[in-house]
Amino acid sequence: MSSVTRPRREADFARFPSSTPIVIDNGASTFRIGWAGETEPRAAFRNVVQRPRHRSTGETVSIVGDTDPALMKYFDCTRSAVRSPFDDDVVYQFEYMEYILDYGFDRLGANSEVGHPILMTECECNPSFSRARMAELLFETYGVPSIAFGIDNAFSYKYNQKLGNCGEDGLAISCEHGTCHVVPFLKGQPVLGACCRTNVGGFHITDFLRQLLSLKYPYHTANFTWEKAEELKKEHCYIALDYMSELQIFKNNKEEAEEKTRYWQLPWVPPPKEEPPSEEELARKAALKEKAGQRLREMAAAKRSQKIVELEKQLSYLEELMDQLDEADESEATAILSRSGYLSQQEIKSAISKATQSLRKAKGETNGNEEKAEVSAADKYPLVSVPDEELTPDQLKEKKKQILLKTTTEGKLRAKQKRAEEEALREKLEEQRRAENPELYLEELRARYSELSEKFEQRKRQKVNGGQTNGNHGSSGGVGRGERLNAAQKERMRLLASAAFDRGKGEDTFGMRDEDWLVYNKMSKDNDDDGNDDDESELVRIASKLQEIDPTFVSKSEAVQLTPEPPKVRPLTAEDYRIAIGIERFRCPEVLFQPGMIGIDQAGIDEMVSISLRRLMEDESVKQRLCQSILVTGGSSLFPGMIPRLESGIRQYRPYRSPLKLVRAADPIIDAWRGAAAFAASSKFAKQTFSLADYREHGENLFHRYNIVYSL
Amino acid sequence: MEPEVVRAEMVLAPTLPFKKVQTADKYPKGQSRGRQWKHLRHLLQAADASSMPPDRPNYLNIQSSPSIYPPKRYCDVTGFEDIKADSYASELNISMQAPYVDPRTKLRYADPEVFKQIRMLPDEYVQRYLALRNAAVILR
Repeated sequence: MSSVTRPRREADFARFPSSTPIVIDNGASTFRIGWAGETEPRAAFRNVVQRPRHRSTGETVSIVGDTDPALMKYFDCTRSAVRSPFDDDVVYQFEYMEYILDYGFDRLGANSEVGHPILMTECECNPSFSRARMAELLFETYGVPSIAFGIDNAFSYKYNQKLGNCGEDGLAISCEHGTCHVVPFLKGQPVLGACCRTNVGGFHITDFLRQLLSLKYPYHTANFTWEKAEELKKEHCYIALDYMSELQIFKNNKEEAEEKTRYWQLPWVPPPKEEPPSEEELARKAALKEKAGQRLREMAAAKRSQKIVELEKQLSYLEELMDQLDEADESEATAILSRSGYLSQQEIKSAISKATQSLRKAKGETNGNEEKAEVSAADKYPLVSVPDEELTPDQLKEKKKQILLKTTTEGKLRAKQKRAEEEALREKLEEQRRAENPELYLEELRARYSELSEKFEQRKRQKVNGGQTNGNHGSSGGVGRGERLNAAQKERMRLLASAAFDRGKGEDTFGMRDEDWLVYNKMSKDNDDDGNDDDESELVRIASKLQEIDPTFVSKSEAVQLTPEPPKVRPLTAEDYRIAIGIERFRCPEVLFQPGMIGIDQAGIDEMVSISLRRLMEDESVKQRLCQSILVTGGSSLFPGMIPRLESGIRQYRPYRSPLKLVRAADPIIDAWRGAAAFAASSKFAKQTFSLADYREHGENLFHRYNIVYSL
Repeated sequence: MEPEVVRAEMVLAPTLPFKKVQTADKYPKGQSRGRQWKHLRHLLQAADASSMPPDRPNYLNIQSSPSIYPPKRYCDVTGFEDIKADSYASELNISMQAPYVDPRTKLRYADPEVFKQIRMLPDEYVQRYLALRNAAVILR
């Protein structure tokens, strides 16, 4: 990743006499500060402030510029965003401006009052309230003696004019962070009345790129920070000479598009692949399983024998008790009974019988289940076999109950057996059919499956009626309309309305009859009809069969569920971690030429040239002279392919074969500062500034007419 | 403060020697200052009309006008223009008929395959694609 460099603190502040101006290039992307007459600014940093909370001390601190992510862990940045004092290219947030100026002067090495005149850059036609507040800030907080404001593009043009890249009359096309400007120059001075500004710039390009990527790769949204997008833009974006044909290349031609696509591989650790276990592995695992099973069985047997022992003990105790009771007479009997805790002999007898039963059950398990069934059957229905005459009326009732129970259980057993037989028969038949003609069988199965699933789907659709699609209604009107259109839905609404209808006087007789409650069945949305069950079970059976024999079969239910969720529910592979930046490479910078792509209804930079020339209201010869010295400057003009595209764009608006000459500035990024430093070092600078006294005298009106005269 | 933070000189010192009025005094703690700063367009509207005679250039005057060309319509998801564009038309730079608009989500698309993807998008993504074009539905 990129290393973040923060400027060092300069140490030679005191060396400069108080007449040396400090030159500040206050740009929307970077803030540059340095001394007049030098070629490089002393400090340059990103023009942003964040105010996070320091975790250990709890106080809110201010951090200016780019930050090292490793150190940011000491700060809590949840409530602080990265803020800029700019909106487009005008300063409006002076609190952040103050923090930035603090930092700038601090880096320059100021330790006592900033007693140097200041030359600060601004945008074209900076509103006077912005100038006034800036002047106020500088005068009153920093004690600056005098200030001058200049336009950064003009400084860049003058600097390049000195270098010979452009002439005295010319045009400056500047693409900056938040805006793009076209400024014509006549006789060396910018003609502000013919200036043109569009509110798209490098910031919008980066933002567009970031949004596109995070929409295309929703899993990696956290990786697409603004800083990363900026990096990608600087490294990979270019401007297509002909946007339409580039689009065609990407649409039709696979190889060329592949060449132009760049891939960014995010770190991805594949999940550990499980190799198919080898023979010994399998054998070992089987042996282990056997041993574990054996152990379990032993434990179960031990427990069972323990239980048997206990039961026997209890049984013997109870039988002893019975014997005691039989032998003893009245009074002793009651004493014995109260000691043992049972209320009567009957209870003891029943306890004994229960104990014997459970004993036999426990013992019976070791012998097998059939015995247990028989035993329990015999136990449960003791009275059934006994003929009627021998029983008391209570016992008769008991017997009837037991007969009923017995018949039902037997019936259930029989039904189960029959079903199992049927299953077995069906299976055999199907196997036969399959063995004869596997393909036909498969076809039949598939047909049957699709038929059933169709029916199922339809029924489901009728009931729910686009509950899935309703979720996507969202913005369009008529939410809820879909629910009321279906006949079944209409019926349901009618029922609900009638049920909720308050009849007022008279009794409410709902619920007197049992059938009334069935209305709720009809009202409920998730009502399962009875008829569905058979179909459903058959569907499931067929699905499982198909899954066994048909390798290409995918259960319909799985496919259906995917629709409302965001795509890619399958496990992610290395492919998903590879971000492809193909069409975005030239689609994003195209915003400079077609701001309509992001919804900004203004002209692109090639058209801005024609607007500016039109506003100039000069004759053709002047225009021709201007077009022969066009300077392209500004940080966002560094895209490869910018100059040829601009040329072809401007040529559309100029007469056929009129001469055009475009030159890129020597260093589009720093030239503004260099021009300003050169200007400040010239002798004419002192006359262009205004001092605190001037400001106090005229107030804001001073700025309505204030414009410096640019000299070489 | 942790030593490396101090060494990196990241944090702005609370008091600076060259300032006449320190920031802490100017912006006392505890007041929410976010709402004090009006947005640029409010400031521009509120700016004194008399100070801006119409013949002189000011910030709003020099803004560029809308483009005289009709906006090209691109697919929102893929960025392509149209299926049927042939090389002749692209040479002349005539835009062929604009691609289609999905009536339910109002997204533009160029291909039937893209249309399928659009219909499968959850609502949040639809609004984000529209927001790219400044066409999202904003409920206030």
